[in-house]
Amino acid sequence: MDEVATKIIDILKKNMKEPSDSIALDTPLTELDIESLDLAVIVFDIEDTFGIEIPYNANEEVEDFATVGSVVDKVNSIISEKKSSGAAA
Amino acid sequence: MAQPKDRRRVVVTGQGVVSSVGVGVDAFWSALKKGECGIGKFTLFPLEELYIHIGGEVKDFDARELGMTKQFLLADRYSQFAGVTAREAFEQSGLETPLQGEKGYRAACIIGTGVGGITTMEASYKGLFEDKKRATHPLTLLKTIGSSAAAHVSIEYGITGPCFGVVSACSTAPHSIGLVYRMIREGLCDLGIGGAAEASLNWGTTRAWQAMRVLSPDGLFPFSKGRNGTVLGEGAGVLVLEEYEHAKERGATIIAELKGYGMTSDAADMVNPSIEGASSAMQIALDDAELAPGDIDYINAHGTATTINDINETNAIKRVFGKAANDLSISSTKSMHGHCLGAGGGVEAVATLKAMEENIVPPTIGFDETDPECDLDYTPNEARKRDVTYAMSNSFAFGGLNAVLVFGPPPA
Repeated sequence: MDEVATKIIDILKKNMKEPSDSIALDTPLTELDIESLDLAVIVFDIEDTFGIEIPYNANEEVEDFATVGSVVDKVNSIISEKKSSGAAA
Repeated sequence: MAQPKDRRRVVVTGQGVVSSVGVGVDAFWSALKKGECGIGKFTLFPLEELYIHIGGEVKDFDARELGMTKQFLLADRYSQFAGVTAREAFEQSGLETPLQGEKGYRAACIIGTGVGGITTMEASYKGLFEDKKRATHPLTLLKTIGSSAAAHVSIEYGITGPCFGVVSACSTAPHSIGLVYRMIREGLCDLGIGGAAEASLNWGTTRAWQAMRVLSPDGLFPFSKGRNGTVLGEGAGVLVLEEYEHAKERGATIIAELKGYGMTSDAADMVNPSIEGASSAMQIALDDAELAPGDIDYINAHGTATTINDINETNAIKRVFGKAANDLSISSTKSMHGHCLGAGGGVEAVATLKAMEENIVPPTIGFDETDPECDLDYTPNEARKRDVTYAMSNSFAFGGLNAVLVFGPPPA
C-alpha cells in the first residue's frame, strides 16, 4: 500500500466510531461505520492532508466514494493533476 | 385528543413576508402562483474560493427606500427584514399601533432567527483580523444579537408583554408562531406577532455550508429524482395572531384560524432526520387541531431537496396520513424562494395561508422525474386549483427539531 492509501486509511479510522484494523482497498465505505456528516469531515481531512480539493456532494452517489481504493485512486489522480498543472504554470 | 370546550381560539389577522421572489405578500404570492424562481447567482459577496455560487437573495432591498424608521436603518439586514414584515402584518391587521397601556402588556413579540446578525459579525471580524482596525463599530453587538429583531419590533409597535427570540435552526419560525399561539390560547396574551427573520448569506456562512456538502450548485429541486441538495435563501415571515373574540370585537378581517401546533425532537442525530420525530410532530398538530388526516388538503412541505430529507418527509407523511396521503396536495415552495433557514417556516406559513385564501396550491418547480422513493403528489412545476380548507406547514431542522402548524378557515 502506498503512502496515500496509508494516510487515507488512518483518516478513515480516526473518524470511525469503532476503528477496524481490517480496512483494505476493496472495503466498501458502506461497510465502515461512517455517516453522511462523517464523510464530509473525512473529505475535509483528506483535503487538508494532501493540500487538494475534492468535489463531493453528500446528495449524490459517487463512484469515487464506493470503496477505500476508489477514494485512494481519486486522491492520487487529483494530486497528479495538480502536479502537472503546477509544472505547466 | 379532545380539547376543553372553552379553549380560547387563535386567529391570524396579519401576515408579512420578505423573500427572494418578492417583498410583501402580494408580490411573493403572485410569483409563487406563476412558479417563478428567486434563486440566482450571489451578488452580496465575492465568489472567490466558493464552488457554490447560487442562492435566493432578496434583491435590491433598501431599508431607506422602504421608509423604515431610524432604528431599523441602523440595524442588521435580518432585523430590517423583520421590520418590513412586521409593518406589513400590523397594517393588514388594522390594529392601532403602537399599542398603548394595558394592551401592550397583553401582547407578545416572538421573532426568532437561526443565526442573527452574522453578516455584521463577519464584517466586524474581517475588520479586526484582516484590516487590523482599531475597533469595531459601536453598534456591532446590538446588530448581531439574535434577539435584536424582536426588540426592534417591540419598540416600534409598543409591545410591552413577552418579547424574545427563539432559536431552532430551520424550525425557528413555526416555533415562534406556535409559542405566540400557545400564549394567546392559555390567556397570557390577547394578541402577538410571531415568526422569524434570516439574512445569513455571506461569504463565511456559505463556506461553512459548502463544507457540509449539502448544497446544490444548480438549484433546489425538492422530491424530484434530479435533486442534488439545498440552496440557501434569506428573508422573513411573520404572522399577527389574535384571540378570536378579541379580533371579532374590533371587527378585524380574519385570514384563518391557527388550529394546531405540534413540536417534537428526534433526539437522535444532528443531520439525519427520523420518521418518528417528523411524524409525531404532524400527528400532535393534527390532534391539537382536532382534525383527521383526511381533513388536510395541502401540506407545505419542508422539502429541502436533500436526498435524505425528502424521502424521510415522504415516509413520515405516509405514516401519519395512511391512505389519505395519496389525496393530499403537497409542495415545497423552497424550490422558488430557496431555503430561508430560520425564516423558512414563516415564509412558508404565508404561502400556506395564501393557498387557503385563493384555493390555489403553489407548485414545486424544477421537478424533472419522479423518484420511486418520493411517490406522493408534489404539485410538480405548475400551480393547481384546489379547495384548500385545512392546510399544514412542516419544518424539520438540523438537530432533529420539528415544528408543524395546522391552519383552518376563519371560525364561522
